[in-house]
Amino acid sequence: MSLVGAIVSTTVLAQTLRMAVPYACAGLGGVWSERSGVVNIALEGMLLASGLGGVVVHHATGSAWAGVAAGAATGAAFALVHALLCVRARIDAIVSGIALNLVAAGGTRFVLRALYDSSSNSPAVAGFRIAALDGSSGGALLLRTLADPPTILTVALAALTAWALVRTRFGLRVRACGEDPVAAAIVGVDVPRTRILAVVIGGAICGLGGVALAFDQHQFQSGMSGGRGFIALAAVILAGWRPWRVVLACVAFAALDATQIVMQQEAQAWKDAVQMLPYVATLAAMVVVAKRARAGGGRAPAGLGKHAD
Amino acid sequence: MPTLRLEKLTKSYGDVRAVREASLAFEPGKIHAVVGENGAGKSTLLQMDAGIVVPDAGEVYVDDARLAPHTAAEAIARGVGMVQQHFALIGVFTALENVMLGAEPMTSFGRLDDARARSKIGEVAREIGAELPLDALVETLGVGDRQRLEIARALYRDARVLVLDEPTAVLTPAEAQALYATLRRLAEAGRAIVVVTHKLDEVRDHADVVTVVRRGEIVVTRPLKRGDDDEVRALSAAIMGREAPEPIARRATEAGDVALRVDGVRLGRALRSVSLCVRAGEIVGIAGVDGNGQRELVRVLAGIEEADAGSVEGGPVSVVHEDRRDEGLVLDATVADNLVLGELDRFARFGVLDGDAFDREVAARLASAGIVPPDPTLPARSLSGGNQQKVVMARAIARTRLAARVLVVAHPTRGVDLGASRALHEQLLDAASRGIAVLVVSADLHELRALCDRILVMARGAIVADMPPTATDRDLGAAMLGAPAA
Amino acid sequence: MKSAGLLSTVTGLAAAWIAFTLLVWLYGESPRELASQLFDGTWGSAYGAGQVIFKATPLLFTGIAVDLALRAGLFNIGAEGQLAVASLAAATLGAHLGAGVPAIVAVPLVVLVAAVAGATWAGVPAVLRARFGAHEVISTIMMNRIADSCVALAFANGFAIKGTVRTPDIVSAARLPKLERAVHAFHGSAASVAIYIALGVALLVGAWFRRARLGRELVLVGKNPRACAAERIPVPRRLAQALLLSGAIAGLACLATVLGYKGYYESGLGAGAGFGGLAVALLGRGHPVGLLLAALLFGTLQQGGLAINGRVPMEVMDVLQGVVIAAVALADARVRASLARMVGKARPA
Repeated sequence: MSLVGAIVSTTVLAQTLRMAVPYACAGLGGVWSERSGVVNIALEGMLLASGLGGVVVHHATGSAWAGVAAGAATGAAFALVHALLCVRARIDAIVSGIALNLVAAGGTRFVLRALYDSSSNSPAVAGFRIAALDGSSGGALLLRTLADPPTILTVALAALTAWALVRTRFGLRVRACGEDPVAAAIVGVDVPRTRILAVVIGGAICGLGGVALAFDQHQFQSGMSGGRGFIALAAVILAGWRPWRVVLACVAFAALDATQIVMQQEAQAWKDAVQMLPYVATLAAMVVVAKRARAGGGRAPAGLGKHAD
Repeated sequence: MPTLRLEKLTKSYGDVRAVREASLAFEPGKIHAVVGENGAGKSTLLQMDAGIVVPDAGEVYVDDARLAPHTAAEAIARGVGMVQQHFALIGVFTALENVMLGAEPMTSFGRLDDARARSKIGEVAREIGAELPLDALVETLGVGDRQRLEIARALYRDARVLVLDEPTAVLTPAEAQALYATLRRLAEAGRAIVVVTHKLDEVRDHADVVTVVRRGEIVVTRPLKRGDDDEVRALSAAIMGREAPEPIARRATEAGDVALRVDGVRLGRALRSVSLCVRAGEIVGIAGVDGNGQRELVRVLAGIEEADAGSVEGGPVSVVHEDRRDEGLVLDATVADNLVLGELDRFARFGVLDGDAFDREVAARLASAGIVPPDPTLPARSLSGGNQQKVVMARAIARTRLAARVLVVAHPTRGVDLGASRALHEQLLDAASRGIAVLVVSADLHELRALCDRILVMARGAIVADMPPTATDRDLGAAMLGAPAA
Repeated sequence: MKSAGLLSTVTGLAAAWIAFTLLVWLYGESPRELASQLFDGTWGSAYGAGQVIFKATPLLFTGIAVDLALRAGLFNIGAEGQLAVASLAAATLGAHLGAGVPAIVAVPLVVLVAAVAGATWAGVPAVLRARFGAHEVISTIMMNRIADSCVALAFANGFAIKGTVRTPDIVSAARLPKLERAVHAFHGSAASVAIYIALGVALLVGAWFRRARLGRELVLVGKNPRACAAERIPVPRRLAQALLLSGAIAGLACLATVLGYKGYYESGLGAGAGFGGLAVALLGRGHPVGLLLAALLFGTLQQGGLAINGRVPMEVMDVLQGVVIAAVALADARVRASLARMVGKARPA
């Protein structure tokens, strides 16, 4: 009873929303990239690199907003490298993703050592703090999460993504590149340019997620992305590459994460077992997705990984 | 004054010169047919016109101004529209989205202006006299609708030159008639219409000017009197470059027992109910417009897909698939590995290959198929299309010398030159003479007539007629439409 | 094709060198001094060379493992987790063997268990791929995470010495001898005969790809699964087999860490070898000698990282791994593009 009570509470709801932000940003980043036809497993590295970028600039300038901008810029820069490698140089997107993830994992620890003389974490940063909403009750936490600029930005970006993909010229072209790059090129769409732009936009959004993750902990910790980029990618696939559904899937994974944390506190003995929850859930989700794909549903962009000529 | 002019265009793919110094002009108000055999370079030539393929040398002029940069976008902007043989439409987009793509009207913030697009497409639809289902997903539309959509898309961009690559390949005769009526109307409105085809009767009935392409070079361009048979007959000699090849002497049929019996096979929407039988030593053809279930039938016979209902008796079956680059060959593996693909268990003892037995078998197949160059260590990718097909055929034929009693061959000579075609046909005849039941799927009626003892006609997922090889094009065509043979 | 492989390798090395110079310079140190310090700490002494071999051994195992899967067209990013689980299994069995069991029985038994454990961990992605068509990249990564939790769970529940995160010592009969016993100059280095076993596996797998039916079919499946399926090669089963074998070989990497070095398994032992194996496989390009050289290169980077750690963070070397992967892939793509131009692309119909 106490466990169920602990799980179904405003605290867990607040935790879920708070934890959904990095997932959702990475997921939206994945949507932009994959809808344009570029497979993106580099989301993990982008989360990590942009988290550090955000914290470094926040720490140096004292401005959380400058940190957000720096994080988005870091994510975009990483995405640009991924896009150039995959779209212009035509290397395998998975190989590029592996390389970038390694660079991000090693590079963040290198920068931590270089700047703060620690390979595990950065000094503390304030993040966004709303003094009026301080307090440790679940309700206060929920209010804080709802009023947190990264949360609000994420919702806005989800709306923008959903709208732009369907209603704008750029969105139409992004989808065309993802579905059939050859056909898109024939009618005069500049496929490489469109894809690079889409991947970079996705990288910037994913970067916001990295910043949110780090600000939430009030510091950067090495390896803090903890597989969220990969899980977000699984959420993208699970949600059939549709922005709002991706956000929903991400919230579901975040709920598992939040539950897992509560269960760890409530059931110490099984803390290592419940830690696996999000990962096992991802595997289960993959089975569901694969089965559905066999039945012809939730189709991937048909031009994923294909070039225009 | 010509609207589109080509000056000495040249394009090579590797060692193969696809187009050599081609110069040509297309005039407004005329339907200009470009004819030639498969692989003569017609498609490459016209893809260069439309900016899709960049020539190695030579220039394209639109209204006497050079097309620069040589891109599809620039060609479209200058009024050159192309309708590809394989439609460049996106299945999961609506018709409206497809027409707009690349030339989208916008309002503020980069928003799509659907209303403006709709009204403009409305005008285009009136001009071609067709109703366009703008809100339907393209994947739900039939080929006729898709083709009208492609044409509408070109006109939506104010195309003054409309290039169509084999537009009637996928159409029924009635649809083809309607298409030409539309094209005539567009020509009369002052557009230059270019049609790539290898159907001479269409040239005879509809073209004002004809250009013959042979092995990448323009042989002749001349005006035509519409409906004049003699002129067209003269053209065919120009296309072939020599007299039509002698038909292969068909041996007398000594049909044996039934070796393959297909009864009431259904598969999804592709196969409605297919029944047929082939006797040992018999060659049976399946004729039909592409996409009427032939591909699925071959896959069921090959055992790759399981039929929803019905039965297949006989076999084992050896199969040559339709798409040799994708399903027939592992292009990056050696010729040797491809010649025995899927048969490694025959050369293995306790999981280890017997290299000598393997090499012997490969050498034997290489020699009997006449593959050039006869080097088993080359990657299959480095062979010409004809030799690649010989590899696939050698494998299938070799199996008929092992266990297989039935040989199913899809499009044995598609994209293959005449010499290799001849060799491939002889192998099929030889297999039949050894008592193998042979089923040939082809869209080439001449090929089927030369090879087969009987020709079955396939339409909309069913066998609709069983005819002798002496049946006329007209009879076969009528059967494909579902009409009773005249 | 040979020269094309050489070009990629040279490009990879050049990129690593440039990245190293740049990062060291950014850190405010002298690249030249550090390079010489790096050399002194690795190939400059017999001990250093021994340590390089020690670092290279698990990388060679995981490199062979990743390469095997890659040739079948699969990305096994799960070597990390496969190794962790295999290490736990091998160490646990090794610790519980009777004192009287001779080495001739103990070592093969532990090796077998390590391979089976690695294969089992790869089995989940293998089944997901073969039965449901779920892509192995994400599933193998998830299995890495699950392995971490499982190891922690096992340690918390009796697998570890109480209050620690390490298993008990394995019996001495199950340990692999260090190289210093044969070559005295290696004294003090942790290199063990596991390197010979790794080399043996590399040669065996190389021969297997050429001469075994299964190996040969795997390569064909990797190049064109559709054509293979059309010729009745059981593609899903072959893919599953490739992942299982890959997992088994990745599991063998614990020979270098558990059996040859520590004599027990502790949390984090061998971590990074799985991802390092990706770099080794991509640089080694499906050839036993290539894989060995690549493993030695990355072994040198790891040992060199320790040697320079006082002046520049050793994490530089992790960055170099990523840079080498990207650079090699880049050079490959360039070579492929120019080859395609030479041979001639598919002619449009």
